[in-house]
Amino acid sequence: MNIIGVTACTAGIAHTYIAKEKLVKAALEMGHTVKIETQGTIGTEDELTRQDVEKADIVIIAADIKVGGKERFTGKKVIEVPMQMVIKSPKALLQKIEEKLKG
Amino acid sequence: MKFKWSVIKQHLMTGISYMIPVVVVGGLCMALAKIFGGPMVGDQVNTIPWMINEIGKAAMMFVVPVLAAGIAYSVADRPGIAPGLVMGFIATNIKAGFIGGLVGALLVGYLIVFLRTRLKVPNSFRGLMPIMVLPLLSSFIVGLMMIGFLGEPIAYLQQGILEWMKSMQGGSKFILGAIIGAMMGFDMGGPVNKTAGLFAKGLMADKIFGPASAMIIGGMVPALGVALSVFVAKKKYTRAENEAAKAALPLGLCYITEGVLPFAASDPFRVIPACSIGAGVAGGLTLMWGTASQVPHGGIFVVPLMDHPLMFLLALLIGTIVTATILTLIKPNLKGEEEAEAEAEIGLNDLDIKIG
Repeated sequence: MNIIGVTACTAGIAHTYIAKEKLVKAALEMGHTVKIETQGTIGTEDELTRQDVEKADIVIIAADIKVGGKERFTGKKVIEVPMQMVIKSPKALLQKIEEKLKG
Repeated sequence: MKFKWSVIKQHLMTGISYMIPVVVVGGLCMALAKIFGGPMVGDQVNTIPWMINEIGKAAMMFVVPVLAAGIAYSVADRPGIAPGLVMGFIATNIKAGFIGGLVGALLVGYLIVFLRTRLKVPNSFRGLMPIMVLPLLSSFIVGLMMIGFLGEPIAYLQQGILEWMKSMQGGSKFILGAIIGAMMGFDMGGPVNKTAGLFAKGLMADKIFGPASAMIIGGMVPALGVALSVFVAKKKYTRAENEAAKAALPLGLCYITEGVLPFAASDPFRVIPACSIGAGVAGGLTLMWGTASQVPHGGIFVVPLMDHPLMFLLALLIGTIVTATILTLIKPNLKGEEEAEAEAEIGLNDLDIKIG
């Protein structure tokens, strides 16, 4: 799968990046391509480009707070999950998404 | 419109996330001013510490307005920002504080959402909606409500809570601190932890800084305690866990509870109680001993800026030892090489993929 996503946590200094790391690691191990944008207190980093969004099969939004720029994902398959889930069980989450996408 | 608690909590969290840097600036400036200028820094007009104190005070004025603006923005997007700021300032003015700002912001936000969907305007007026009609109408209505009749009972409630917190002595302070600490240690960044954090950070907006130190200590003890347990009883842990402990130590010192996650995920029924009890003891002691933190983040780095930093360190040490002792005692010896990295299956069944 071609996975893109956004992470954002309350303080915007730690979990945002932990969640990104977990998602990227799990996705790569499972053989997916992945790009995650972080919306931390420092600002948006690794911003998703229009090409990224176009190529994506699934958009994962892992956030405890309001995420900016959701309108970019109009028409895409979007899944919103709490940060906790991405940090605790990234692989199970990806597996589940894969199952759901296959129908 | 949805009124689910999880949605409302997300709005509150967004507000808090915008509020934190304001508290940090205000809290750090005031703490620094006190270090250089002494407790009476407010009277030493035109000295540098006094100026720093003034900067801190200025930032503190904006804590509730920024919180409210963030909440209203989360509910209603950009049209929510201005009315949110106004409601937050009104709440500060009428002494309805944190709770007042929160109520005002949610009301104004949802009112904007309501107006936006219900109010039908001719096309030529559409441009006026976000910059004039929505902010003005919502500020007008909720502002009148806040000043007219909502503010007073909230201010009353708020004052009551503050008085109660201030009047607490010894034992009851220990209990409050213990509850905050134990909640912080319970689920490492999960909902229980967030609720305790919301409470402690909210009180900071009203210049009650004690619970914040219980919150910080509760977030630090679990990772430190688990790391200590691994260092004294290496053989009870897998190789992966021994590695994870080396990461948990700095994470704990930096007030990032997630260092415990690898341990909690593979053995929740031993690790979570041990963390909660240690964090609870530390939280109770730190509040009872009168430590207070004007800064909501930073772990070990903000300890020098706290009131009674040595007491904080002592409570931290005791809590860490309690967690480590409990965990080491109840942890069984390893049976063979268990290297499986367990992943918790949490709520994966109600995943909801939306197209749109």
